[in-house]
Amino acid sequence: MLINTKCFGEVNIQDEKIVYFPDGILGFEELKNYTIIYDTSRGEKSKIAWLQSTDEPGLALPVISPIDVMEGYDPIVDDELLNVLGDVTPENVVILLVVTVPTDVTKTTANQKAPIIINSDTRLGAQIIVENKDYVIKYPIVGQKKGESSC
Amino acid sequence: MLALSRKVNESIVIGQDIEVTILEVKGDQVKIGIQAPKSVPIYRKEIYIQIKEENQKSNVSSVDINKLQDLL
Repeated sequence: MLINTKCFGEVNIQDEKIVYFPDGILGFEELKNYTIIYDTSRGEKSKIAWLQSTDEPGLALPVISPIDVMEGYDPIVDDELLNVLGDVTPENVVILLVVTVPTDVTKTTANQKAPIIINSDTRLGAQIIVENKDYVIKYPIVGQKKGESSC
Repeated sequence: MLALSRKVNESIVIGQDIEVTILEVKGDQVKIGIQAPKSVPIYRKEIYIQIKEENQKSNVSSVDINKLQDLL
């Protein structure tokens, strides 16, 4: 199906690439259908992808895999919350962190506290608040490279 | 807002399938047990609000993803 996107205009998405979020995501509870868009224009696979609503073109959140920004991301999630997504296994689970990019891009953060969790078999997703006490909503993801932040 | 007084181990029933029980009271902290269908999301309010606001901020942060990609 053809969908309108926030950053890439009209994009043709296969139906099986649409993920249903039964509870939507926080702040956008009424929007339930999403797809993940990777920007391939950069040649190498880009780290930032977009969680694009297929119901509302104006809603697209930049997301990143936790592997790309931190070591050993290990969210503790209540089983009951995961069960809503069907049988989640290490093989079918997709975990993404929502990224917030402020005007000063070096202050970009990722939300460790509320990852997007998708079961790629059932194509069900949810934004789940994890139990980890040390995980924060604004985890800085830029800054590993020191002294060369030219703007 | 409806205000009801409850003692430890007493409950409140909301609708047909939500039950809220006072489990423990210690100083100014109250431990609450909630029984509800899985379809009802339950959040600590302050965290819920913060995450909601963060998602909304994230949605307007389309600015310069290319610049960000170079930094990662």
